[in-house]
Amino acid sequence: MTLPPLRVPQRVIVVGLGMVGARLADELARRDTDGALDVTVLGAEPYEPYNRVLLSDVVAGRTDVAAIVMPLPGGERVAVRREVAAVAVDRTAREVLADDGTRHPYDHLVIATGAVARVPEVPGLAAVPGQGTGSDGALPAGVHALRTLDDAREIVAATVNAPRAVVVGGGVLGVEVATGLARRGLQVALVHPGRSLMERQLDDDAAGVLRASLRDAGVSVHLGAPLAEVLVVGGRAVGVRVGGEGDGETGRASAGEVIGAGLVVLACGTVPATALARRAGLAVDRGVVVGPDLASVSDPRVYAVGDCAQPPEGSRGLVAEGWDQARRLAERLVTLAAAPPAPVPVRRGPSEHLRLPHDGERPTMAVRLGTLLTSRAPSDRGVDTRGTDVVKVKAGTLSVVSMGRSGAGRVAVPGERALRLVDPAAGRYVEAVVADGVLVGATCVGDARVAADLTAAYTRRVPVPVDPAFLLLTAVMPAAETTSSPERMPDDATVCRCNGVTKHDIAACVADGATSTEDVARATRATTGCGSCTEAVCGLVEWLGAAGRETPTPVTAR
Amino acid sequence: MTAAVARPTPARPTATHCPYCALQCGMDLTPAAAGGAPVTSAPVASAAVPVTVSPRDFPTNRGGLCQKGWTSASVLRAPDRVTTPLLRGVDGALAPATWDTALDLIATRVAAIQAEHGPGGVAVFGGGGLTNEKAYTLGKFARTVLRTPHIDYNGRFCMASAAAAGNRAFGLDRGMPFPVTDLAGADVVVLLGSNVAETMPPFVQHLARARAAGGLVVVDPRRSATARLVDDPQGGAPRAGRGGVHLQPVPGTDLVVLLALLHVVLAEGLADRDYLAARTSGFDDVARSVVAWWPERAEAVCGVPADELRRVARLLAAASPSRGGRGAYLLTGRGVEQSTQGTATVTAAINLALALGLPGRAGSGYGCLTGQGNGQGGREHGQKADQLPGYRRIDDPAARAHVAAVWGVDPATLPGPGRPAVALLASLGTDGGPRALFVHGSNLVVSAPNADRVRERLGALDLLVVCDTVPSETALLADVVLPVTQWAEEEGTMTNLEGRVIRRRRAVDAPGHVRSELWILAELARRLGSPVDFPDDPAVVFDELARASAGGPADYSGLSHARLDADEAAGGPGLFWPCPATGPARELSGPGPLERAPGPDNSRARELSGPRAGIGAPGPDNWRGQHPGTPRVFLERFATPDGRARAVVVDHVGPSDDVRPDAPVYLVTGRVLQHYQSGAQTHRVPELERLVPEPYAELHPHLGQRVGVPDGGRVRLTSARGDVVATARWTDAVRPDTVFMPFHWGGPGSVNRVTTDAVDPVSAMPEFKVCAVSVAPAESPEPLPAAAPTDDDSAVPTDDDSAVPTQEVPV
Repeated sequence: MTLPPLRVPQRVIVVGLGMVGARLADELARRDTDGALDVTVLGAEPYEPYNRVLLSDVVAGRTDVAAIVMPLPGGERVAVRREVAAVAVDRTAREVLADDGTRHPYDHLVIATGAVARVPEVPGLAAVPGQGTGSDGALPAGVHALRTLDDAREIVAATVNAPRAVVVGGGVLGVEVATGLARRGLQVALVHPGRSLMERQLDDDAAGVLRASLRDAGVSVHLGAPLAEVLVVGGRAVGVRVGGEGDGETGRASAGEVIGAGLVVLACGTVPATALARRAGLAVDRGVVVGPDLASVSDPRVYAVGDCAQPPEGSRGLVAEGWDQARRLAERLVTLAAAPPAPVPVRRGPSEHLRLPHDGERPTMAVRLGTLLTSRAPSDRGVDTRGTDVVKVKAGTLSVVSMGRSGAGRVAVPGERALRLVDPAAGRYVEAVVADGVLVGATCVGDARVAADLTAAYTRRVPVPVDPAFLLLTAVMPAAETTSSPERMPDDATVCRCNGVTKHDIAACVADGATSTEDVARATRATTGCGSCTEAVCGLVEWLGAAGRETPTPVTAR
Repeated sequence: MTAAVARPTPARPTATHCPYCALQCGMDLTPAAAGGAPVTSAPVASAAVPVTVSPRDFPTNRGGLCQKGWTSASVLRAPDRVTTPLLRGVDGALAPATWDTALDLIATRVAAIQAEHGPGGVAVFGGGGLTNEKAYTLGKFARTVLRTPHIDYNGRFCMASAAAAGNRAFGLDRGMPFPVTDLAGADVVVLLGSNVAETMPPFVQHLARARAAGGLVVVDPRRSATARLVDDPQGGAPRAGRGGVHLQPVPGTDLVVLLALLHVVLAEGLADRDYLAARTSGFDDVARSVVAWWPERAEAVCGVPADELRRVARLLAAASPSRGGRGAYLLTGRGVEQSTQGTATVTAAINLALALGLPGRAGSGYGCLTGQGNGQGGREHGQKADQLPGYRRIDDPAARAHVAAVWGVDPATLPGPGRPAVALLASLGTDGGPRALFVHGSNLVVSAPNADRVRERLGALDLLVVCDTVPSETALLADVVLPVTQWAEEEGTMTNLEGRVIRRRRAVDAPGHVRSELWILAELARRLGSPVDFPDDPAVVFDELARASAGGPADYSGLSHARLDADEAAGGPGLFWPCPATGPARELSGPGPLERAPGPDNSRARELSGPRAGIGAPGPDNWRGQHPGTPRVFLERFATPDGRARAVVVDHVGPSDDVRPDAPVYLVTGRVLQHYQSGAQTHRVPELERLVPEPYAELHPHLGQRVGVPDGGRVRLTSARGDVVATARWTDAVRPDTVFMPFHWGGPGSVNRVTTDAVDPVSAMPEFKVCAVSVAPAESPEPLPAAAPTDDDSAVPTDDDSAVPTQEVPV
């Protein structure tokens, strides 16, 4: 027996221990079953990786801050260096230089530095030189972005002494924070420069329903109200002044209006953290410019994933997208490292999924074991590629979901049908967009059940009803007549499930002289299983006896 | 076939148990000639039966019986009962033969096959309906006479995932580690993938309190009869605090529901931290792993609204002891277990239960609802590929030595682990695979997944021997069919879903030349020249089983038929394993190496113990001072080396055969009340067959309209493996993306021709419960496929009018 040739593992350096960087490291460890890769993650923050998506839940008081810490990636297989920030990349020497002086040579470098909160350039929020934007050190007291664990902690702490809050920005995060703070009992104003809320996702009607729902939740919404200034007294925020045209509908928040608040939360979007890439001479536009294979267009050994990346298809800033990128890149790096080099698997479009059979073939046991037995940490398997563009607002009982080709910015395509249910008085709006017999997009506000059904139908491409209008409601009919009303019960209704006894059987039994439940039980065995129907049988016997009827004519043939 | 003549029987009723499910309802059998018990008249005239059935007050059924139980006597006189051995002749037909001829032929063929192919040339396939004595003897026969590693059983299809997860977490697999009557005290009972209202109806009694408290939670992709129990039990519009909650996830995503529930429990600070610290290990990793399953993400995968997940998590937590509740139970069934992530799903249920501090606490817990009549005992006595009696591992040298000593053989002669069921069946008749197969208590061409392939493998064998009571679809393929006794014709023991060991008793003689498997195996052992002793008296076999189990996890050594009989006669509390021959019960002993768990466990246990369920109630004199059995295991410690329950990280992967453009609909399978498993018994009961005479598939009206299959029309479901034809029933009880079909039929309506044989990587349990199909109208009438020309003719009684439903015309 000959030993396989010794291989030197390929070194992968991942810069960033956020949700996507950690996920990538984990995906690499799980897929690399024969030690072909040597993975190191550099994380600037002192914390273990945490679930950034849940920060708005922390603000809302729905989630304990201790309950958002995620597993360190890859177990023993991944070297994690916390509080080690990458400061430079020497692409010629293929080394990353860290702020602790260490050098990290790489065969593949993955930049997963994420994004920082965007801070509007208005009076009161002047950035302090030497500090990055979005770091609270640069903001007046009482003003917070919501991007990091520290941000969330500080906002929660601030709610104790601030009865009033202003949330700046009416996108997904702004809506989540506003409802969350309102849930904590704060008086909340949401100021938004656009003419409608969540305008990247929702059209005017949907946004109108959302706005009304927010108002019902205790949030006052100010549209057409760009932030003009944060009012600061003694280094502490006391409110904001908004500019713009004001909201024509209500006349509120007209130009120059001042809204007092001791807590100001900025939810104005994010800026990709590209400084390291820029310094390394990589092509950077809004983010690090990468191709379909997630490799930098400037250097095939350098990749970017998550919020810092700018892939050809664009980015919505959703974690599902980043996790999907992590999966795809892990597959690619493991394939590249495999010896002998295997051809890159043929991509088959967006339905590409390790365990979905192609052309009818079943995944091999080796693949299945590989994905199952090493599943120590979160997997993306539940999030099919198709589901990466589902936007669901986490706002407690207020349900807002948008996915695919629906809502704002949808360009009508021939053959596509868009159906809508607009029911603002009931706080409900549903749009379903159907093409080729499947759901290709949907928006749903105010109906959690329909939203869940639409999401399932969208992500799995299951057949839609012949009349897609049925998609706008739950697919369950009103409850059937219960057994509590003997009169209205159909003749063939089963009264005793355990023994298959119908109302007709019992009626016949009473007509034959039965006068008690016991008589009926003897003759039909009704009530002799689990006994749940005893009351119903009793009621039937009484009613039939009182009516003094003969055996009724069958209502329904059996 | 001549009708059997019953020997004179005493008129006294015989106390025994129902032949069907693991609830093992108590019933009395009274010889028909002796006159009826009070509730005996059958509503539907049926064939003459030798006994009448009446329900008996027993803790699991409390005097209730479902329709299957009431009509079970009909199975004793099935019109096509096999009453003599049958041999396949040169003309290809099965013909009667004498026992000597049949057994000599089997012995000769087995010897020849083993001479050519070695011991592994012969395989054995057992069943979860066999008595403990038969299951034990079958394993012993395989290991000592055949010396083949190839033995497994149909419990691999139903219990393996729960067993694997239970063993991993608790160090022991007893389906319900508490008496079923304990459920009646809980505020919340969660049923995951279990349709008890159809599969074990009298069980529903134990849910009454949870329903009244609004605490019944049913997780099922289908609004099953059980899911409908969450509607207000009193009828009428839903009211607060009545009934419960039905979660209706996309098929194959139950695990996500559980991960999200645990996420909420931890996120909202509802976990029992003291319990986790004192009684579990590995939980921190689990806690971190579910951080990625926040409810909104879970919703996108499982289709259950995030807020419903939160509501259920809070409901559960409020019922947990650490938060002042009266208790909560999580129970899993085949719906979540028959999956390629079945072990993971059960593990997630256990993790959730651990977070809430439920397992090992009187009045709360996790349990698995065992399906088959002896599904619990059947997995303890050595008919599993990797197992020896007493739930011992066959690769454990100490276990091998102990059992070999009881059997009087050299441990070195015992084979090692064999292949689990699906792999075993796939290897039949292949190069290097077994050439002969014995089948006991299993109708596997109907009940195994990817059934067409199973049929093909059986066809490749040199010898197929089937022991059965009726000409089942599998028996009809056999070279030799051996007629065997059934429930009311035999003595023995069963271990029900609670781990309670109960007596099966003989009320009538078997007809014709029917013999017990114990006798058959003894005769074969003798013919094959084995020096090993094979008693055929069930009481003697049990005593040997008890010795073989001594010191194992499932320890029966303190039990005997005589003790079980005496306990029952004295109105005793029942006997649950482990019940070692000597020594006090764990529950009665002082604190063990680990201190007792925090919480009011002891007082709660006393409170729960009524006069009938009392722990350690004095039994008959002969057994005073003996171990009283263990109604509730884990109260002090788990059966792991450190006494702590192991929390294990699991994650969602999804079904092996997921929907795709050419198979865009999920298929889920299940049971109906009137039939049992492959229907070998219930299709022969006219009263049951009349109510559910043919295979059907439930379709949502939206799907029916989309694919052009009207209500009542014929529908064809096609998967990557095969197709099935059934009558369509439109109902909104199924999701529009899902069809449901019961699996009780052979032939063209056999849904297991469509299901996948992909298996769970830990338990090797196949993924019956979800696969992807295309749905299309089927032409009618359906021509029989050439591969299975005789199935329907033989599977269904030929004499009755039930094949053609009578149309009642309104007057």
